[in-house]
Amino acid sequence: MDKKWDMLPSSNEDREKIWAKNRTFAGDVWFRFRHKPTAIGGLVMIVILLLFAFLGPLFTNYSYSTQKLAAVNIPPIMKVYERPDGEGYLHITQGLKLLEVNEDGTLGAQLEKVREESADSMTIYECGGEEVALYYGGSPYVVADPESGVIYPSKTLWNKSYILGTDSLGRDILTRLMYGTRISLMVAFVAAAVNMVIGILFGGIAGYAGGTVDAVMMRIVDIISTIPLTLYVILIMVFLGSGLQSIIIALGTVYWVDMARVVRGQVLSLKAQEFVLAAKTIGSSTKTILFQHLIPNAMGAILVTVTMLIPSAIFMEAFLGYLGIGLQPPLASLGTMCNDASETLRSCPHQLLFPALVICLIMFSFNFVGDGLRDALDPKLKK
Amino acid sequence: MSNQNILEVKNLTKHFKVGHRQIVHAVDDVSFTIPRGKTLGIVGESGCGKSSCARTVIRMYDPTKGQIILDGVDITNLKQKELKPYRKKMQMIFQDPYASLNARMTVRDIIAEPLLAHKIVKKKEDANEFVYPMLERVGLTKEHANRYAHEFSGGQRQRVGIARALILHPELIICDEPISALDVSIQAQVINLLKEFQEEKGGAYLFIAHDLSMVRYVSDEVGVMYLGQMVELCEADEIYRSPLHPYTRGLLGSIPIANPKLAKAKEKSSIKGDIPSPINPPDGCRFHTRCPYAKPECAKVAPQMKDVGGGHMVACHLY
Repeated sequence: MDKKWDMLPSSNEDREKIWAKNRTFAGDVWFRFRHKPTAIGGLVMIVILLLFAFLGPLFTNYSYSTQKLAAVNIPPIMKVYERPDGEGYLHITQGLKLLEVNEDGTLGAQLEKVREESADSMTIYECGGEEVALYYGGSPYVVADPESGVIYPSKTLWNKSYILGTDSLGRDILTRLMYGTRISLMVAFVAAAVNMVIGILFGGIAGYAGGTVDAVMMRIVDIISTIPLTLYVILIMVFLGSGLQSIIIALGTVYWVDMARVVRGQVLSLKAQEFVLAAKTIGSSTKTILFQHLIPNAMGAILVTVTMLIPSAIFMEAFLGYLGIGLQPPLASLGTMCNDASETLRSCPHQLLFPALVICLIMFSFNFVGDGLRDALDPKLKK
Repeated sequence: MSNQNILEVKNLTKHFKVGHRQIVHAVDDVSFTIPRGKTLGIVGESGCGKSSCARTVIRMYDPTKGQIILDGVDITNLKQKELKPYRKKMQMIFQDPYASLNARMTVRDIIAEPLLAHKIVKKKEDANEFVYPMLERVGLTKEHANRYAHEFSGGQRQRVGIARALILHPELIICDEPISALDVSIQAQVINLLKEFQEEKGGAYLFIAHDLSMVRYVSDEVGVMYLGQMVELCEADEIYRSPLHPYTRGLLGSIPIANPKLAKAKEKSSIKGDIPSPINPPDGCRFHTRCPYAKPECAKVAPQMKDVGGGHMVACHLY
C-alpha cells in the first residue's frame, strides 16, 4: 500500500521558518524599485542629466558666455550651397551673410562683402577669388552665380561646430544647456534640501508637541500658503535682487510648507500608533522615539515629497528665468534660455526646443522616480 | 504588606476632554489589587474602559484621580522621567500585533529596545546574548532576529511582542487584549506561552480581554467592567459559577455553547440595548437603563462595591 494519507513529519523549525529571502530594508526598497520600469528609466535619465550637466562642459570648446557674432542663430541642420570652386559649402545666415562651411560640416569664416546690387536684389560676396551672389528677391533666399543667375546645388548638412546650433548672440546652445541644467539641478537640490530640513523640523515639532503648539504652528503654515507661493518667490526675488543665491533663498524659504504639512500629518498619525506607545511604556527616551520610530517611518512620505518638490523647484526656477528675474546674463539657466529663445521663436524654433525638452526630461524623471519610491518604500506592497 | 501585592489601584479615574466641555468618563473610581504572581482578568464590552484602565495603570495616560501603587511605590504623579526605573517592573503586551511593532526595525532591534532604554546593554551588538535565548523561548529561532516584523505571521508577531515585554523580566505584565487579533488556533499558543512564563518567573498579569472563556482559563481573579466602572470582582471560578451582577449574568449568558441541547436549556438572558455614551453616563447605577431587575432606587443612588461573602465584591442594589 502506498502511504499517501500518512502524516508528513513536522518539525517546529520548519513550521516557524520564513521562506522569503532575508533582505535589509534598503535592499528591499531597491528590489521593489528596480522592478518598476518607469522608475528605473527616470533614475537612469537623472544620472545621464547629471553627467551631462557636470561632466559635459569638460568636452566642449566653448564657454557659456563666448559670443561669436559671425555665427548667430545657426541651426543644428543647415541648408548649404556648394561653392563654385567645389571646396566646401556656403550657408546663408539669418543676418543675410554668407558663411563658409567645410566639407565635414564645421563652420569657417564669413565671406567678404564686395558690393550691393539692390536693383537685382543681390548682394555680391567674394569667395576664393570668384564672386557669388546672395539673391534675396524671392523666398527662399539662394546663392547663385552673379553672371548667369544659375543657383548652386544645395543640400542639408549637420552642424559639426555647434551641434545644437547657436543662439541670437552666437553662443553654443549645447554648452549653455549643460550649464543651464547644472544650475537648474543645483537650485533644485539645494532648495529641496533646505525645504526638507525646515519642513521636517517644523512639521515634526508641530506634530510631536500637538495641542496649542501644533495649532499655532499650523496656522502660520496656513497663512503662508494662502498667498500664492509664486507671488512670494517673485517678491523675495525683487527684494533680494536676482542671482543664484537669491533664487535658492527664495525657493528654500517658501516651499517647505507642503513638507511641513506632510511631516506633521505623518508624525500625528504615527505617534498614536501602538509601536510608539509601546516605546513609551518601555521607557525609551524622546530622542529614541523621534529618531528610531517616528522619522524612519515618516521617511517614505518625506522622500516622495522631496522628489516631487525637486521638479516644482526646477520649474519655478525656469519660470523665474523666463520672467527675467532669475539669473543675470551671461549665466545660463534653462529658464533664461527659453526666454532668450522666445524672441527668435519664428525663425529659430530649435533654440526653444532644446531647453524646453531638458526641462520636460527633468520633470518626467523626477516624477517617475518619486512615484517609484513611493511604491517601493511601502513595506505592505512587498511581493 | 506592600510586597504582597505587586499592584494596587485605588479609586482610579480617567476622564478625557473631548471638544467643548464634554468629558468622556472612560474609567471611574476603579479599585483592584493584583498579588504577586497572580492574574487579574478584566472583561467587559467594547468601550467599557478596559483598555483605558490598562493604559492609565501603565501611565501612558495621566490619571485624573486615584492612586496607582506599584510594588509599594506610589507612581500616580511621577513625571515620565522619574517613572523610568519603575517601567522596568511593568511592561505591556498590545492588542494589535501588526501595529505594535515598528516596521522599520528588525526583530532583534525591537526586542533589544527595552535593554537599551534601561542601559542593561550599551550597544546593540551586545544585546544578542539576551535576545537569542528569548527568541528561542517564545518558539522562534536566531534566524528570525534579522527579519522585519511584516515578514511574520500574526502569531509570530505577537510572540515577538511578548518577547519584548518579557526581556526585562517585569513583575507585572499588562496584557491589553493580547489574543483578540489572533486566530483561535494561535490564541491557545500565545495564552499557553504566557502561562508558562508565569509559572517560570512568577510574574503577575493584568489580563484584559472580551473572550470570557479565555479569561477564565488564565485568571485567578476576574473583574467585570461596565461603562468605566467595576461592577463585580471575585475569584475566577466563583464568577462563572455564581455570577451576581445582572450585567455579569448577561455577559456569561452570551458565551456560545457548542452543544445545541445544552444551549437550548440555557436561560436566555441576553442584555438588550446598547451601551450608553460615556460622555453622559446615566445617574445612579450606570447599568439601570439596560437592567432587567432595575428598581426606582437604581436610577438615583449609585451602588457601592460591597463584599457579599468570600471576597466576592459586587456593586448592585440587589445585594
